Amino acid sequence: MRQSRFAFIAVLFCAAAVLRVAYAQVDVVKGAGKRAFAVSGFSGDAALAEQVTGVLKNDLRLSGYFQLSPPAGAEFVQSGSVRGDGSGVAIECIVTEVATKQAVLTKVYQGSAQELRRVVHKLSDDIVQAITKQRGIAQTKIAFELTRNGVKELAVMDYDGYNVRQLTHDKSISVRPKWSPDGRKLIYTSYKGGFPDVVDVDLYTGQRRRVASFPGLNSGAAFSPDGQTLALTLSKDGNPELYTMNANGGDLHRLTHTHGAESSPTWLPDGQKIAYVSDNLGTPQVYLIGRDGGEPTRLTVSPSYNTEPDWSHPPTGSEMKPMLVVTSRLGKMQIGIYNGGDRSITPVVADGADNEGPSWAPDGRHLVFTKTVNWRPRLYLLDVMTREQIQLPAIEGDASEPAWGP
Amino acid sequence: MMLLRLSRTIFIVLATAMALIICQGCRPKPKPQGELGSISGMEPGSDVAMVSSRPGELDMANAQRGMFAPVLFAFDSARISSREAAKLPAVARYMKANASKTLVIEGNCDERGTAEYNRSLGERRAQATREELVKLGVSASRITTISYGKDKPANAGHDEAAWGENRRCEFVIAGP
Repeated sequence: MRQSRFAFIAVLFCAAAVLRVAYAQVDVVKGAGKRAFAVSGFSGDAALAEQVTGVLKNDLRLSGYFQLSPPAGAEFVQSGSVRGDGSGVAIECIVTEVATKQAVLTKVYQGSAQELRRVVHKLSDDIVQAITKQRGIAQTKIAFELTRNGVKELAVMDYDGYNVRQLTHDKSISVRPKWSPDGRKLIYTSYKGGFPDVVDVDLYTGQRRRVASFPGLNSGAAFSPDGQTLALTLSKDGNPELYTMNANGGDLHRLTHTHGAESSPTWLPDGQKIAYVSDNLGTPQVYLIGRDGGEPTRLTVSPSYNTEPDWSHPPTGSEMKPMLVVTSRLGKMQIGIYNGGDRSITPVVADGADNEGPSWAPDGRHLVFTKTVNWRPRLYLLDVMTREQIQLPAIEGDASEPAWGP
Repeated sequence: MMLLRLSRTIFIVLATAMALIICQGCRPKPKPQGELGSISGMEPGSDVAMVSSRPGELDMANAQRGMFAPVLFAFDSARISSREAAKLPAVARYMKANASKTLVIEGNCDERGTAEYNRSLGERRAQATREELVKLGVSASRITTISYGKDKPANAGHDEAAWGENRRCEFVIAGP
């Protein structure tokens, strides 16, 4: 009798240890030890140099690691040259650590004139990697929903808001894009066929496939971390419930059985559990369930409305724990990080506007989200460590439901 | 014997915990990103053995909107009040008198509330409306639901009056 009780307590202790691992506390580190970085610019072609410098400075600022500073007092100094001719551009860049006088980066980059921003983004990521040993985000992309005149289309842009490309031209409603883990596909909800279907699109071939078109609602599809499985919302068997299915179709499994409506699945990086929204208790809250179903665990308790969960996927080799971000309604919508220990939510964007729909960058430090002011939604980035919000350039139309690519 | 089983249980739990901690870091490397292609076409999914798919294409060629007043809903609710339920017998009578027609119920939300949850809420509103019509004698197989979440407002305004109009189920009559 005593032995089985001991076993029970031991199992509980281990289970608690495992659960604590899955949820990180959020610490704000104001100023976050930003390192002073002087961008001296580039000799050579003046017009190209100005462009390159502009992109570089913006990337370094957005990374969150650096404070742009004049050379006096800087910890790192950049110098270089840029050459351009009919065939392309060549950028030479040297970054020196002032204290040691050692070069932390000496590299030449080449590309076509059209690729200039992409080439500089590569340089910026290399600088971040060389100095901080962290994965940079300058080469990443953000998919989102572009609304113009009541029509909603999918679009993709560079993480800094440039190079917006409209992907669909269906003159219909295309919403809620999410990326495959290899960055090759988007999966989204399309009304092109007259009903909400889950459709995937291969971004290199342009090929689209209708993956789920059951009666009722098909929406909220999210790829598992290994790209093989989708979690999604279907209402074909009653009210909207959570299902998984093979990413190529078929092998459908139902996970939830409630009187309420489920929605918005997001996978934990280990691919074993899914956080999602259910209003089974009256108002929407965030729950956790195993990928094969079973008894769900309620995560959020207050305030009364918590939706749009998204798990961060810390980079390989990082010591970061996955963090769960949610959108809560407290008057206006606000964005916060869920703390598993006491089930509280630490606000990270709560400023009187409606802030919602956050999506983690692959560095586990930045988010993109929708801020609505005067009923016009547009996209912002957030550095979770410093709480700095960065407004992305205005576009023609409204932008919402962003998804940060790998 | 009990002690051995106990140690084994603890070992399994600890090993699982360790595996979970270690595997958290594992992710496939992202492919280098080339130019995005342009999108065309819409082929059906490759697996034809899907559990059930939408029964045929609805004949929307002569679809009629606005024949019946929309059913309205309270904030965050999918409940049909008795006042709103009074709009339904007219719809049921029509459906019973016109056997060739099918009914599409479009569920909607106002612009407050987050986007994806609103798609599920709109679907619950459409399903609640269908349930009432089934109780009034209309066959469920003749009724299809579509949720638009907050993506298709009836009133583009930003006040209580507009929001009240947008929290609605609309009726679309389809069929020959």
